[in-house]
Amino acid sequence: MNPSLKLALITLIALEVSFVQVWTVNVVLIVVSLLLMLINRVPWRRLLLLTIVPLFFASALVWSLMLRGDASTHFLIVIFTRMFVYVYMGGWFTLTTKPLWLTRSLEQNAKLPSKFAYGFLAAFNLMPKIQAEVSTVRAAALMRGEVLHVWSPRLYFKVILAAMNWSDQLAAAMTSHGFVEGAPRTHSLTVPLVARDWWLFGGSLVLAQVGLFIGLP
Amino acid sequence: MKRWHIRDIILVTIIAIFMGVIFWAIGPVYTILAAALAPFGLQPLANELLLGIWVMAGPLAGFVIRIPGAATLGELLGAVVEMFLGGIWGASTLISGVLQGFGSELGFIFTGYKRYGWFTLAMSTLTTTIVTFAWDLIRNGYAAYHLPFLLLLFCVRLLSVFVFGGVLTKLINNLLVRAHVLKD
Repeated sequence: MNPSLKLALITLIALEVSFVQVWTVNVVLIVVSLLLMLINRVPWRRLLLLTIVPLFFASALVWSLMLRGDASTHFLIVIFTRMFVYVYMGGWFTLTTKPLWLTRSLEQNAKLPSKFAYGFLAAFNLMPKIQAEVSTVRAAALMRGEVLHVWSPRLYFKVILAAMNWSDQLAAAMTSHGFVEGAPRTHSLTVPLVARDWWLFGGSLVLAQVGLFIGLP
Repeated sequence: MKRWHIRDIILVTIIAIFMGVIFWAIGPVYTILAAALAPFGLQPLANELLLGIWVMAGPLAGFVIRIPGAATLGELLGAVVEMFLGGIWGASTLISGVLQGFGSELGFIFTGYKRYGWFTLAMSTLTTTIVTFAWDLIRNGYAAYHLPFLLLLFCVRLLSVFVFGGVLTKLINNLLVRAHVLKD
């Protein structure tokens, strides 16, 4: 399925199940996402993690709502299953979508301006450098006997300075290689957006609406 | 009004990735805190205590890149990074990201992107807390809590957002101003 439509689909459904309280639809969504993940051969360990973590948080939330609130059993079931809907749908999306392919699709299919698409990609490729920079800053401070925590302004200050440097350099490098903001571009790889994608998208949304509004518990 | 250029886009993304790394680093702290509080039915309190760190990308991006939309974009990208790094909450992370970012953006909107001081930060803290709390009333069923507990959650969240999104952001901003990379 087309990545942009896939993203739109899971976001719309996640938004909708947050407002409508129908636990049967939640269960159906969980089963469908689980099947989709199994078909796509998601590793068992990842699947286990995707089950244990929400199990803990959903149980803790329900327990808390029971102790400190006056929610009905129906509402508690809705909340409990809702957590799993978020996690499983999100798992299906992130484990079957490559960030690069998604960015390309957003640029080509969803008409995201190319300066955003390539700006994001340029920065995302710096990820290992950013992680390394954080440890460098901390190590440098340690050498002077200074421990930097999550709440130390100095840590952020130094990393932001590095970020400003890198973004200047990257932007200059892109411009010097002929990148012009807003100029028409050609694409070496095109992300297909075919009728089947629209049918899957529309069909899933209609099915979700039917499930949510025909009065299921 | 300034417009987005490639340099600003790269900068906001790097800041978001950096914050994403921080979010990821405090993940275990959150889990341990939540586990410790869970038996007493206080698990949401773990969320409230640490929320300030999660919403920091918004005000930080808004202060460093003074362009409309910076706070929203910074927080949204932070959420995207968290999602692809192995955060498990999926689409709801993205929705929360947009709402948290927009919450702090409102603070900047109210001051017309002209003032970058305590007043804007206080506004931003307040709007972030209100917007994200309204979302949790729906998403996490907070609406079902008894009123005193709900008020406690709200106050703890306000304090956490103020400490991280307000005080810490201001201190970082002060350092950047002293280094002459940002105007006061």
